[in-house]
Amino acid sequence: MASATERSLVRGESSGGDLTAASAVGLAGIMFALAMVVLFQQLSLTDTVAGVRLVGILGVGLLALGVSVIGLGVASRYGALSATPRASAGLLSGVVSGLLWAVVGGLAGARVLGLGTVGWLLCAVVVGAGAAGFTVLTREDVGTTVPAGAFTALLGLVVLVTIGPSWEWALGWEQQPASLTASITVPTMTLAGSLVGGWAAAVAYGGFGARGRHLGAYLLVYLNAGTIVGVLLVLVGFTVFKGLPGLFRGFEVGLGVGRQITVEHYLFLPFIDFAPGFSLAFDLPFKWPFVMTGVALLNDVNGVWPAIVGTVWLVIGAVLLAVPLGVGAAIFLTEYAERGRFTQLVEVATNGLWSTPSIVFGLFGAAFLVPRFANQKSILAGTITLGFMLLPLVVITTRESLLAVPDEYRDASAALGVSKWQTIRSVVLPAAIPGVTTGVILGVGRIAGETAPILLTMTGAVALPANQALNVLGSFRFTATPPFVANEALLQATTALPYQLYALITAGVGKSSNIADIDQFRWTTALVLLVVVLSFYAIGIATRYYFRQKLNHE
Amino acid sequence: MSRSSRIERYSHAARNTARRLRDSVAGESPVAVALVTVMALSLLSGLVGFLLVSSLTAVPLAIAIVAAAVGWIRYQELTAKVLAGTMTVSTLLILVLIAGFILRESIPVLRYESVTVFGTEIPGVRMFIQTRWDAVSAPVRYSMVPLIHGTLLVTLISTAVAAPLGVAAALFLSEIAPQPVRELVKPGIEILAGIPSIVYGFIGFTILNPWAVEQFNLNGGGTYLFVGIVVGLMALPTVVSVAEDALSSVPESMKSGSLAMGTTDWQTMVSITIPAAFSGVSAAVLLGVGRAIGETMAATVMLANTPRLTEPLVNVFYGQATLTSLIASSYGSARGNQLSALFAAGAILFITVLTLSIGSQYIEARMRRKLGGEA
Repeated sequence: MASATERSLVRGESSGGDLTAASAVGLAGIMFALAMVVLFQQLSLTDTVAGVRLVGILGVGLLALGVSVIGLGVASRYGALSATPRASAGLLSGVVSGLLWAVVGGLAGARVLGLGTVGWLLCAVVVGAGAAGFTVLTREDVGTTVPAGAFTALLGLVVLVTIGPSWEWALGWEQQPASLTASITVPTMTLAGSLVGGWAAAVAYGGFGARGRHLGAYLLVYLNAGTIVGVLLVLVGFTVFKGLPGLFRGFEVGLGVGRQITVEHYLFLPFIDFAPGFSLAFDLPFKWPFVMTGVALLNDVNGVWPAIVGTVWLVIGAVLLAVPLGVGAAIFLTEYAERGRFTQLVEVATNGLWSTPSIVFGLFGAAFLVPRFANQKSILAGTITLGFMLLPLVVITTRESLLAVPDEYRDASAALGVSKWQTIRSVVLPAAIPGVTTGVILGVGRIAGETAPILLTMTGAVALPANQALNVLGSFRFTATPPFVANEALLQATTALPYQLYALITAGVGKSSNIADIDQFRWTTALVLLVVVLSFYAIGIATRYYFRQKLNHE
Repeated sequence: MSRSSRIERYSHAARNTARRLRDSVAGESPVAVALVTVMALSLLSGLVGFLLVSSLTAVPLAIAIVAAAVGWIRYQELTAKVLAGTMTVSTLLILVLIAGFILRESIPVLRYESVTVFGTEIPGVRMFIQTRWDAVSAPVRYSMVPLIHGTLLVTLISTAVAAPLGVAAALFLSEIAPQPVRELVKPGIEILAGIPSIVYGFIGFTILNPWAVEQFNLNGGGTYLFVGIVVGLMALPTVVSVAEDALSSVPESMKSGSLAMGTTDWQTMVSITIPAAFSGVSAAVLLGVGRAIGETMAATVMLANTPRLTEPLVNVFYGQATLTSLIASSYGSARGNQLSALFAAGAILFITVLTLSIGSQYIEARMRRKLGGEA
């Protein structure tokens, strides 16, 4: 937003009306929080707080919120509040209030009056139209507060009078019977009531008019952003909470506790009986069973080492394929090709590839690549499929950063008599590298967590022992028949972190394969996957931040 | 148009292309031109060999690599240009290959499910006019209707979650949030996009499914309702980032002009920014819908994956199967026509999402033209 925003000039002293409105907003906040707590089952509706059952507190709170909101509107109407309401609350408020009241009307028609489908629909339309008309046609203060306050108060009354903790409404569907229970209905109603009532109270707090609407809208927008971040924190935090105990089971730090690593290098010379060289064996100073072992009968702690190795090779292969292809394509599109049909077509195709569902890539890999690599699922097929998924992202981000390089750079270089390719190589590409790096890292984060494509193209056994981890570098050999180079490891089906998690969830693998605490194993696998993927994101975001800081300083 | 004039037009176009090619290599040494031609031709034959599953594919590829290496050392300028061009063509090629292979694999089921109308056989129609999917007991039928219904329900619910929340979050990021808050929230939303879908599915499967059973007194497992909510959460970041781009592409001068009239920030947003960026925001929602349609793993893990219609159709407390979830869950055991039917489901997904993507690109391009013209 422009920096030239104007803040409010001096307003009157805070009055009783302001205080009421502010406390109504606060009450709405408390109701919202309480509803969340009940939804997450931290408190039950029958629990008592200060001697009163929670369901009663929710009902009374909603009722009080609704009544005070109506009171604010009425006070403003009769001039008891310093407010600047407009002639109408506006069409948007009218539509929203109409929809809310249509739901109320429909439910009342169906539940209270016991009408048929046509009846409750009619009821919904009539009530909704009435509320919408009332909102739009009356002065803003009344039009905003009365429908909203009445809605909130009505919800409170329903919670207090009709719905007890054991209330239940069976929907009467034969094959999958479902019923709305009090434990979901009451918190949902409280959420709705606190949002509507809180919004109306915020509008009243701003004295209606432009400023009031501004406050009301900002309240909702901020709440929305906060909720999204909250959901993120809950998701990540919960996975960490559940997975952490398993991750460090058997973890030890100390001299000589870890696996022995041997580094050997001898130079075998012909005709000499003596090979100069060295052999060094040392023990890793730590032992981390979950990360460094596989699944085997005699393991104290089973781990996911083979899956980690599989994921690493997948990512490396995909990057090796997609980055050169994507950067090359972006260079051609931006630097060589004239803007026209062809570049437009490629752009549409790249964006189309970007939004193509991952399972479709999987199907493609299964139909196109698998039959061509020894006719079996293999890591090669998986990694190429993921490379195809990564490709459009590389093209898009590279193209964006190439376009962001100022034309002066190119002109200055051309003025020195440097050829076009030299200019691209030594002027344009270096300037575009930050953007490309960031894009690639973020893209890698996305494909490292993909399950669907590798499910169809590369995955075989799930819980592998550590010695079956993929050994790509050690398996190259040359053959006499075409294609002359062979690598069995690349043509093997293997596992990867996301697939391991999927298989652990669906097949219940583990009970048969020596994993004692399957639930713990799943959560810890999820945590390792999350850590791997999110660290790519963290690095990507940090890189972008770093380059931007650098750019700002120069 | 007469035949001769069409031929004339084609030959004209061919002449034009040839001239452009000649222009682009004008001034290059004939050896260099020969070298890149060898490279391009051997790449092409390598591709043909790969498509034909020939074991000799490696030979032309090796020739191409040698030609490229020699060209890179001797004639870097031309080689780089041709290589970059080849890479561009390959991105197009991948899309074409995806479309081709998926359609090719779905031909058997299209044949199997054909219907004879007035003596002519129309392939594939029976997949859409009845609702039975049964790969085992007779009559064996592969109807797409239950899958489309499942995808439709999940997409509707997830759009109802992702569209309003996403647009509000985009508004927050682009117009409202002060700089420090923005710096925190934006990476947060990116990370939300980064959480692997299987982790969402896992949490949905272990936490949400049992919770839903308890709260709604259900008989069993997954429901479209909660799959839709989870998928909506996953589509949210797409909506946010595209909508934010659209909102911040509204020229600053338009907003400042409005603010100079003494409006509040919110009034400016409602009456200037959002209307100006409306088409971009709707493109964002379309892309989000595309993401929701294509979302696979969360649905696969949470649903029962039995392709049936629900009873009644709006009963979202069922969890049968979506297009994506059925492919992922039954690909491993499917053979013959059933496998082909899964590819047909993939083809429906591919075409739908591609259409959405092209539609949203068209809308965005139009908006950019409009704003560019007015600013």
